[in-house]
Amino acid sequence: MTARSIQDANRAPTTERAVSPSVWSQLWSRNAGGYLFLLPWFLGFFGLTLGPMISSLYLSFTNFDLLTAPDWVGPANYVRIFTADPKFSTSMRVTLFFVVFSVPLKLAFALGVALLLNRGMKGLPLYRAVFYLPSLLGASVAIAVLWRQLFAGDGVVNDALAIFGIKGPAWISNPNYSLWTLVVLSVWQFGSPMIIFLAGLRQIPVDMYEAASLDGASKWRQFWKITLPLLTPVVFFNFIIQTIEAFKSFTPAFIISGGTGNPINSTLFYTLYLYQEAFSFFRMGYASALAWILLAIVGFFTAFSFLTSKYWVHYDD
Amino acid sequence: MTTDVQRLTVVTEKQTAAVKTRKRLLSILAHVLLIGASILMLYPLLWMLSASLRPENEIFTSTSLWPSAISLDSYFRGWNGLRLGFGTFFINSFTIAILAIIGNLATCSLAAFAFARLEFWGRGFWFAMMLATLMLPYQVTLIPQYVLFHNLGWVNTFLPLVVPKFLAADGFFIFLMVQFFRGIPKELNEAAMMDGCSPWRIYWKILLPLSTPVLATAAIFTFIWTWDDFFGPLIYLSDIRTYTVMLGLRTFVDSSAQSDWGGLFAMSILSLLPIFLFFLFFQRLLIEGIATTGMKR
Repeated sequence: MTARSIQDANRAPTTERAVSPSVWSQLWSRNAGGYLFLLPWFLGFFGLTLGPMISSLYLSFTNFDLLTAPDWVGPANYVRIFTADPKFSTSMRVTLFFVVFSVPLKLAFALGVALLLNRGMKGLPLYRAVFYLPSLLGASVAIAVLWRQLFAGDGVVNDALAIFGIKGPAWISNPNYSLWTLVVLSVWQFGSPMIIFLAGLRQIPVDMYEAASLDGASKWRQFWKITLPLLTPVVFFNFIIQTIEAFKSFTPAFIISGGTGNPINSTLFYTLYLYQEAFSFFRMGYASALAWILLAIVGFFTAFSFLTSKYWVHYDD
Repeated sequence: MTTDVQRLTVVTEKQTAAVKTRKRLLSILAHVLLIGASILMLYPLLWMLSASLRPENEIFTSTSLWPSAISLDSYFRGWNGLRLGFGTFFINSFTIAILAIIGNLATCSLAAFAFARLEFWGRGFWFAMMLATLMLPYQVTLIPQYVLFHNLGWVNTFLPLVVPKFLAADGFFIFLMVQFFRGIPKELNEAAMMDGCSPWRIYWKILLPLSTPVLATAAIFTFIWTWDDFFGPLIYLSDIRTYTVMLGLRTFVDSSAQSDWGGLFAMSILSLLPIFLFFLFFQRLLIEGIATTGMKR
């Protein structure tokens, strides 16, 4: 029993205590409602999240092909991943490259356009809609299909470049550029962080800017001294969400490379490699180990961001 | 004293005139920039739309958006381009999406009501757990879930895609609804509580009717995300009769893309159409939904 519920019990009128004398029935009447409402969520949490998590941790120490019982091998999967699996290091490098380039670029575009739109522009709703649309459609297979054509050797991008006399490479099938097409696809979808930036900008009190310009602060200084510090909580939120999303990204790489991660594994996202191990080769124990390494990386990143946030995120309370 | 004031007003008037023209120039510049960016952003989509409407021999001949003649051939060809028509895939996708909406609305709102409005032991802890699941990469539960559904004999049915929604597995929507419920004046349900209303009645008769905006937002996002979902159908659905539109598109890419880009683009456009319509009619809800998730109330 928590301190609060004891307090509540003490405050309860005597009549109520007479009606429900037993501690158990009081516990029931105070808590049953909440737990009943949460029942579906509890089933999901234990049955589809926590249980499977524990189970996949166990599987990561086994060889398991779905048809025969898991065979305990100890840390062998992890040892192989870190010492003898070139595809692991390749896919990790590809994914980190994607995260490191797509997230900052996407956030920079989102913030830049949000600042431009926040000046009380005419036509704001229209611009906002136009910029938001790609991020709403972007997750679709259809868009990945479109990208595959746009950046093909004889695709629209090269047709456009040809107008300026530039002969572009076959972006998708050239391992030097293929990953960049995926970065561009991700940056193209800067709309939803932009919406969140816009909402954040609107919460900054106008009188702060008025006071600052009376004191003669230039726009540039106002941005660095007012806008950006007050916006850091939103930057932080967008940064975390977009980074985790980037780590989890799967569909575009799958469609653009036809499920292979080629050319020469240049688009072999970590998630794609994990999928191949689990569902093409049915090495489910090995794939579970890969999944736990992904969780460790995402968890470490999130914890690190939260720990360092107090040095750069401005909270007014 | 007076001269000072006069001088000051003259100076400020001159300044304001200069500032006004500068502001105007800046605003024109901003518009030019934004219009340019808008065209760049929309060009790929418009190009695909126009490519899908061109006669087959013209698809790759020009970068211009205007087809010389409009032809729906690609749509007819694409619709029947696979062994099974896209009609089946559309029906499957709609079925899954509608069931997912029902599940999400029912169970996420129950959970959100408990977190936002009911007092019970361990509420803070479970709420933190729920938020933690938002950050969890799905890969970590993927394989045991697959094994579970496989052993239940649910592979090649919609159940693995739909049942989790009836168990409030989409924490994002719980979070969204909690944010909304907290914005509804607490006095409303405290008064009802005094009158002896049960939590269920408060949820059903007071809170839900006031929450149509957030329910609509959750429904639309559920639709879009379920509709777009590729990974779930990819691993659970291998019988072509159970394919969703996204799987149909993927099969199209792998099988006949080299020969029939027109049909592929046409089906791609059709697959984007429901999302686009939601965007067109409920844009405000979507934008507010996105915006509130990033805000602290």
